[in-house]
Amino acid sequence: MKRWIKSLIPAVILLIFALIMTSDWYWKKPRGPHNDVAMLLQKVRDAVLAEDWAQAKADLQQLDSAWRFVITRVQFSVERDEIRGLTLSLARLHGALLAEDKTGALMELAQAEEHWIDLGK
Amino acid sequence: MNESLVTVVRGVIAFLTLLILTRVLGKQQIAQLDFFEYVLGITIGSIASSLTIDLSIKAFPQWVGLVTWIVAVMLFQHVTIRWRAAAKYINGEPTIVIMDGKIMEKSMRSLRYTVADLLAQLRQKDVFDPAQVAYAMVETSGQLSVLLKPGFQPVTRNDLNMAGPAEIVNPELIYNGVIIEPNLQRAGVDRVWLKQQLQGQGVHDEGEVFLATIDAHKQLYIDVFQDRVASFVDIDDEPQKRVK
Repeated sequence: MKRWIKSLIPAVILLIFALIMTSDWYWKKPRGPHNDVAMLLQKVRDAVLAEDWAQAKADLQQLDSAWRFVITRVQFSVERDEIRGLTLSLARLHGALLAEDKTGALMELAQAEEHWIDLGK
Repeated sequence: MNESLVTVVRGVIAFLTLLILTRVLGKQQIAQLDFFEYVLGITIGSIASSLTIDLSIKAFPQWVGLVTWIVAVMLFQHVTIRWRAAAKYINGEPTIVIMDGKIMEKSMRSLRYTVADLLAQLRQKDVFDPAQVAYAMVETSGQLSVLLKPGFQPVTRNDLNMAGPAEIVNPELIYNGVIIEPNLQRAGVDRVWLKQQLQGQGVHDEGEVFLATIDAHKQLYIDVFQDRVASFVDIDDEPQKRVK
């Protein structure tokens, strides 16, 4: 095997590793409205502010599936605790919507948004 | 999040990164490592294991930490190979602890080396009486090198030809193309004599020499950078492609 190829192979492997581990910014980007987490968080917030609980619950269902989709893509490059934090925030948001608790829902939404921003940082 | 899958991917990344970068580090044997390098190895291994299983931290910063430590070792290696003074400063020097059968207490104290340690290491070298030792020195790796007095050395072929055994440690006269002036004086030779010897062996400049040592009979051992080997033994699987 030629010497330059011998040197190139490990360099390429290390570069691929670095790309895998820093690709969260790319995988966080939505591939359509159905998995746009930031947009869906905003939709839930608007519904909660309008106290439209049925709409808020429907939007939260969509947000949940969008988040599950994003987890599978970002899991190799982000912290487990950030993933867990956002998942728990959404779980608590479910409870707040069931109770039709506007304050609690807004608090959980704010926390979820913070986790989303921090994801991959 | 599939934690097992993430652990597998991170494990592969850590494993291959270690494999690639330690190949670059070279083939230094574990037995040759000094204490600092031993600790470096443990630290690098610890970072690699953390990269694999500590999912609470992003993989990339841990990977950067791993690469940083390995690159730091590479830099140290490069510096110590390139500059002899730096090597002596960083790695230290061998210390003589027995000379002509006498234990050098001051050297022992500076090394924090006990008589029990010394005797144990002598016994490991099959020496049970320090009086038999001409020189014993603690290497930078912590190992003990022992030169027995002639009367206690095993008979060799040279002895049968009545060749007298050397009682000095062959000093390095040239290392990495640079003449070591203090060793010239210690060996009782000078630059002119050295250059004559080099020319006699077909070497026209000390810059061509990687290592030159001298023995008690003023016989020079020379190893040049450009190795001229008559029959090259190739252990490569693809010998025909090897650069000669």
